[in-house]
Amino acid sequence: MFDLIVFLVLLLSGFVIGNLVERNHYRSIIRREAQLRNLLLIASKKLPDEFMPCTTRMVAGNVVISVDFFKKFVAGLRSLIGGRVSSYESLIDRARREALLRMREEAQKAGAQYVFNVKTETTSLYKGKRGAIGSVEVLAYGTAVTLANQPSMKAG
Amino acid sequence: MLLTTLEYVPGKTITKHLGLVQGSTVRSKHIGRDIMAGLKNIFGGELKGYTELLQESRDEAVARMQEQANSIGANAILNIRFSTSNITQGASELYAYGTAVVLD
Amino acid sequence: MEYSNPEIPEGINASKENPLKEFFLLLGGIGACIAATIIILSLLAGRLAVYIPFSTEEELVAGGILPEDEGNPEVSAYLQGLVDDLRDELEAPEDMHFTVHYLNSDTENAYATLGGHIYMFRGLLELLPNENALLLVLAHEMAHIKHRHPIIAMGRGVVIGLLLASITGLSGDYFVGQVVNSTGLVTLLAFNRDQEREADATALAAVARRNGHLAGSEDLFKILRDLESRDPINPPEFLRTHPFGNHRIENVRELAQQNHWNLEGGIIEIPPQIQKLVAESELPQ
Repeated sequence: MFDLIVFLVLLLSGFVIGNLVERNHYRSIIRREAQLRNLLLIASKKLPDEFMPCTTRMVAGNVVISVDFFKKFVAGLRSLIGGRVSSYESLIDRARREALLRMREEAQKAGAQYVFNVKTETTSLYKGKRGAIGSVEVLAYGTAVTLANQPSMKAG
Repeated sequence: MLLTTLEYVPGKTITKHLGLVQGSTVRSKHIGRDIMAGLKNIFGGELKGYTELLQESRDEAVARMQEQANSIGANAILNIRFSTSNITQGASELYAYGTAVVLD
Repeated sequence: MEYSNPEIPEGINASKENPLKEFFLLLGGIGACIAATIIILSLLAGRLAVYIPFSTEEELVAGGILPEDEGNPEVSAYLQGLVDDLRDELEAPEDMHFTVHYLNSDTENAYATLGGHIYMFRGLLELLPNENALLLVLAHEMAHIKHRHPIIAMGRGVVIGLLLASITGLSGDYFVGQVVNSTGLVTLLAFNRDQEREADATALAAVARRNGHLAGSEDLFKILRDLESRDPINPPEFLRTHPFGNHRIENVRELAQQNHWNLEGGIIEIPPQIQKLVAESELPQ
């Protein structure tokens, strides 16, 4: 009986607080993405000729986000039935966008207008116990390009 | 929607670069596939169940990436890359990303 | 060459659906599947277990795994006399043997197990007001054996235990394992209650045939109900191994009415020397 109460309390607090934290985070992400919209992310490696001359440097951003109890339990139920684990999808989405934002912020501090060759790495940090997920880490990195003479470009 | 892993499309010119588009999905296996995989561990061979699972995930990730590209008016995605990561026991995340462009 | 980063709409890579909806759907779905699987497997196990011959049951327990008699042999002999008496009324098969053992312990219970062995604890014997009630307790346990409930329960336990262990093993999450186990147990309890009801009905019929009446039966179930009400937690019926005491009392009245059994009749006392022996054995040895 006591176990059941502890379990329900964990589940409820995980759901309520986790949801709150997630919504706040998403609001912050959307706000900052709007602010940084001028700084473009491009996945290509090749710099177009019209960009020369320019200076480049590597920039990176990373974030570690932890899963809450409710998400973990729902994912556990999912692993019996199979299919999309939507509780983790929002987690990964948040983490990736946050990492990209942090990379852009670093590029902006360096005065760059573009980041080329953007790549991301995702890792899950286990606690060592079988199946116990501690957190997800996303690292985003790329090459920040600062143009010597600014071309005219439409702000997106 | 043209999808390519090249940085450019031979014979076409890019008129607009629309930035990074991404598609990702997290999928889990179910008990049936797990049991078959366990048996295969004894006998060896291709884990067809898991192959199918990851194939479906990849298709879905690419579809989501295309949805993002469509919503911003692109007609091609260049420089597509994939990435798979193990999120928790039994669930993997499939991530596809590329540069959305408008070709003439 | 134009470069821009247009705003990408939300909801493509992450679902905007309320997570609670998915949670309840998954929980309900899994619970229903497990319950259904357990019900089917339990019915199967029940059907097949009766094909194990009674002699095999006796062999299984012959190695001495059951508790030894640690009461008074005179009390055991008295109880065995009652059991042998009831045997004909119960219409049990020829090869079935009933052996009753008396255990000198405070536990207020009696149970039947494999091989036709019945165990009566001093704790319960002390509470019984007369021989009629005692007869009904013994008849109830004998009815369990007649219907092969011990071997059926064991068969079910093995099969369901295996199933639940493999499911919880595959999921990898401790709490999901707990939820799966609890669902399994709650489903099995329903089968337990069915067995109790069946044993009640058979026992009442046997006692009615022997005594010609059912005096003292309601008293027994009232005592059991009082024992039940001492439990501080008081779970609802679907979490119990036995039906509610009140329901069993109602059942007695219904069956008596259907079969025209008399609820009144002569009460026989438990022989005084037996009562004395039982009271004496309470003193520390």
